[in-house]
Amino acid sequence: MFKLTFKSLLARKRRLITTALAVTLGVAFMAGTLVLTDTIGQTFDDLFGNAYANTDVQVRQVASFEGPDGFDTADQRGRVDASIIPSLLAIDGVATAEGDIFGYARLLAKDGDPIGRPDMGAPTIGSVWSETELNPFRIVAGQAPRADDEVVIDRKSANDGKLAVGDTTRVLVQAGPQEIRIAGIAKYGTADSPGGASFVLFRSSVAQRLLAEPGKFDSISLIAEPGISQGELAARVRAALPEGTEAVTGAVVTEENQDAMREAFSFFNTFMLVFAIVALLVGAFMIFNTFSITVAQRTRENGLLRALGASRRQVLLAVLLEALVVGALASLLGLAGGVVVAGGLQSMLAGFGLDIPTGGVVFKPSTVYTSVIAGMGVTLVAAVSPARKAAKIPPIAAMHAEVTGSTGYGSKERVMVGLLLLVAGVSSMLIALFGDVSNTLALLGIGVLAVFFGVSALGRTVSLPLSRFLGAPLPRLRGASGILARENAMRNPKRTAASASALMIGVGLVGFITILASSTKASINAAIDRSVTGDIVVTSGSGFFGGMDPGFAQRLNDVPEVGSATGVRMGPARVGDNVERIAAIDGVTGFEIIDVKPLQGAPQDLGRDGIAVYKDAADDEGLSVGDEVRVLFKDTGEHVLRVAMIFGEDQPLTTPYLLTTEGYETYFADAYDAQVFVKKAPGTSTAAALAAVERVADEYPGTKVFDQAGFKAEQGKQVDTILGLVYALLALAVVIALLGIGNTLALSIFERTRELGLLRAVGMTRAQLRRTIRWESVLIALQGTVLGLVIGVFFGWALVAGLEDQGIERFDIPVGAMVMVAVLAAMAGVAAAIGPSRRAAKLNVLQAIANQ
Amino acid sequence: MAGSSTHAIPRTEAGTAAGTIDAVKVYGKGQTEVRALDDVTVSFPVGQFTAIMGPSGSGKSTLLNCMAGLDTLTSGQALIAETDLSTLNDNQLTVLRRDKMGFIFQAYNLVPTLNAIENITLPLMLAGHKGDQAWIDKVVQIMGIGDRLHHRPAELSGGQQQRVAVARALASQPAIIFADEPTGNLDSRSGAEVLGFMRRAVDDMHQTIVVVTHDPTAASYADRIVFLADGRIVDEMFEPTAERVLERMKRFGE
Repeated sequence: MFKLTFKSLLARKRRLITTALAVTLGVAFMAGTLVLTDTIGQTFDDLFGNAYANTDVQVRQVASFEGPDGFDTADQRGRVDASIIPSLLAIDGVATAEGDIFGYARLLAKDGDPIGRPDMGAPTIGSVWSETELNPFRIVAGQAPRADDEVVIDRKSANDGKLAVGDTTRVLVQAGPQEIRIAGIAKYGTADSPGGASFVLFRSSVAQRLLAEPGKFDSISLIAEPGISQGELAARVRAALPEGTEAVTGAVVTEENQDAMREAFSFFNTFMLVFAIVALLVGAFMIFNTFSITVAQRTRENGLLRALGASRRQVLLAVLLEALVVGALASLLGLAGGVVVAGGLQSMLAGFGLDIPTGGVVFKPSTVYTSVIAGMGVTLVAAVSPARKAAKIPPIAAMHAEVTGSTGYGSKERVMVGLLLLVAGVSSMLIALFGDVSNTLALLGIGVLAVFFGVSALGRTVSLPLSRFLGAPLPRLRGASGILARENAMRNPKRTAASASALMIGVGLVGFITILASSTKASINAAIDRSVTGDIVVTSGSGFFGGMDPGFAQRLNDVPEVGSATGVRMGPARVGDNVERIAAIDGVTGFEIIDVKPLQGAPQDLGRDGIAVYKDAADDEGLSVGDEVRVLFKDTGEHVLRVAMIFGEDQPLTTPYLLTTEGYETYFADAYDAQVFVKKAPGTSTAAALAAVERVADEYPGTKVFDQAGFKAEQGKQVDTILGLVYALLALAVVIALLGIGNTLALSIFERTRELGLLRAVGMTRAQLRRTIRWESVLIALQGTVLGLVIGVFFGWALVAGLEDQGIERFDIPVGAMVMVAVLAAMAGVAAAIGPSRRAAKLNVLQAIANQ
Repeated sequence: MAGSSTHAIPRTEAGTAAGTIDAVKVYGKGQTEVRALDDVTVSFPVGQFTAIMGPSGSGKSTLLNCMAGLDTLTSGQALIAETDLSTLNDNQLTVLRRDKMGFIFQAYNLVPTLNAIENITLPLMLAGHKGDQAWIDKVVQIMGIGDRLHHRPAELSGGQQQRVAVARALASQPAIIFADEPTGNLDSRSGAEVLGFMRRAVDDMHQTIVVVTHDPTAASYADRIVFLADGRIVDEMFEPTAERVLERMKRFGE
């Protein structure tokens, strides 16, 4: 029996390969994602291992709180006083003690352009040039900084910026643009730069002044005397530390940093794996369809086996074995492809501006298990139903002349199951989005899956009328070919529906994400229109780390064409029991430029110790004007702030709490403006104001100046970048679905050989035959697209409605994009038909007619 | 019949609808070489019902296939009217089959997804025109399938299916109709019916039919029988009867 399986597999190599390909692509994507994330993980593990290689103990402030989700999840802690260094050195066993600073510094290249894209990739860091063994950098040219304006830079920045030893340039730091001279160029271990980051290394006192606060360090690193362990030294140091500071071993610091990085990338890992799972799911549809068709085509053969004495179990096992072989083959090929895919994904991400540094490729055994189990599991599960159908074939089937499988509409039970799944899916999605449940994402995912399965269960019932409707214009447009194409798409609704379902998933997700993106853009635009009364916006181009120094906004306020300018600062703090982001704008002019729609109280009530609360947060926390809230800041500790205002518009600032700039400077040590909003002076044209602002911004390379329309476009561009990335990742699922349509067509054509021969004999030209198959393919593709778009619109609506309190308040269906998707799907249908239609056209007419 | 004047055939009583000159068809090479057609020269006059008979392997189907442009000759010429088929490419051959020839096969004559009338007009649809409606009505009426036109093949009996096939062969008023064992799958009564309709197509509608058969009764409907053996024409019979044909066929066994 098993021998038979292998023989029949070998006899159908071509089909074996195309079937396996669907799973191979999914597995390759999965393996590629795992390899890439493992490689990234290893890269950062090595990086931090290297960075703290000689650090035995680190002394730092005790963490105030963990960072808020999606901002900076690392522990938030204040700086430690430099003054404790002498007392640390006095401790028996401490060989060296040195302060560290990691601040924001944006180095300018020789031509004046900023080096690196901190908003998309590796950070641009300013730090301390260490004269001790703690320094992981090694000078390869020049020397250590001797003067206050001298720095050492990493070699990657030197290369990228065409900077040589002795060159002068500028660096943008918290203290404003600084003239510097390149004293030395250093490598990081064997690499040009740690993880692609840009480093500007100052003398310690200079770093304190320019990057942080005078007299303070982010942390202090210690080296132990020989023979003293990290643990022992930490214990000795701990005993001598003032309250609020702690001592941890180098091993712990390394691990903390590695964990934080891994956590930051775990989102990315999950994100990519979702697409791998989608690809596998689509592959499963193709496996199911292919096996269903081949089982139907082999009805006679299986009937004969049964007549000759094979048991049902044996027939069942034979089909499952076939699936197992296909799955194993596909998974192994996919694994091999995973390494290539990992590289491809990385360059693709780089193409979208996400430059992720990686060392050597890491291929873990867990990648092998996960990928192979996923690939084989998906194939096996997809083949169970066809295998059971094969086992049900009675021996008498051997005698029947011809079987073309079920052409049915779908049984009542099936329709019931489909409807049930659909209702369950929709309900769980709605509960997840609007209900009060803990595991929103899991429930949402299950709901989405149930909807997809429900619709595909109903597919064969919907397919016939849908084919008839979509194909209605075909007879008029394409004559005989059109009629035949439509009839062929209708002749086996089960098959058409299964092929279409695979595409439906991809298109559904494309439609969904398109609507979500479009709604997000519409919401942002509406919010800016509503609340930004300013005319010009300057963005820092530095992402979440660092920003423009406060001097920039001050200088803008001195420009005659500018009426007022306010910087937007943002930082985390614990308000009550929740860690939140707090934004700050100028207490007087800021609220004129950005209208936050005060509901209670007024901006002028804020002052230094007042806090403004967004209405939703106020509702949740039961706050109203006049209440007091305890706010914990990492740099300045706990303060009791007065609720001075409740506001009704959290866009474009996006935070639930607001301070004045004055208040912010009181409670936060660092001051970086992420954006500066500008209102032009009365009687000045926007163009003149824009030109004036641009003149100042020229001294802050990396910043971008927009008028309001440009600012909206820029916000939209960010959404579009993510949209493009998601499209690229979903493309694989669509490609697999198209392979599935091609495979189904090829199998159908094989079944219809004699009919095609007849058509050719009575005068159908090759071109007409190809056209017939092409249009059948287009109909299948359009069917999947229509179903997918309907689902996509629903998903989009549900999510937009669910995210209303996150600022997505407009539901926008981009009709043009939807039409575009349908047109592309039709074209993809044409592409899927290329192979099958060519082969069909090449049929030898006589042999085809004689075909039994 | 617009759009295909290059292959127009004059409809004269004395004209030749199709034929072969020195037709040779060789299958295989060397030891396994088989001469399926060995120098066959034959012509089929317009308005005649011709049967080709012969024992299995005599080359009768090969002759039909080569004349119909479904197969190619090794040497010699196959002609539809004055057109030498060997000068045509696949597309031209297809168009010629569509516009100038009708086909009736032994079985699986019809496209299962199309109903009877769509099957009948299929060659016309493929050509992209409606055809002569009066002619089609007449064909449908003669074939006696007027009440089955909107049924699909699966809903028709074997005899009805073959009558639809004959109607399709006639629909485009072709220069010649080729039939390969058209009654081979039918019971004798349905077979006789179908042959009767084919006979009427020749008598009432001046069609030209060439049918390959091994059934003497079927052959007896023809005006003329051409006998083939070992790839050569060995005999000819005019106004045959079933008995005479049977008699002649028996002699092949000797």
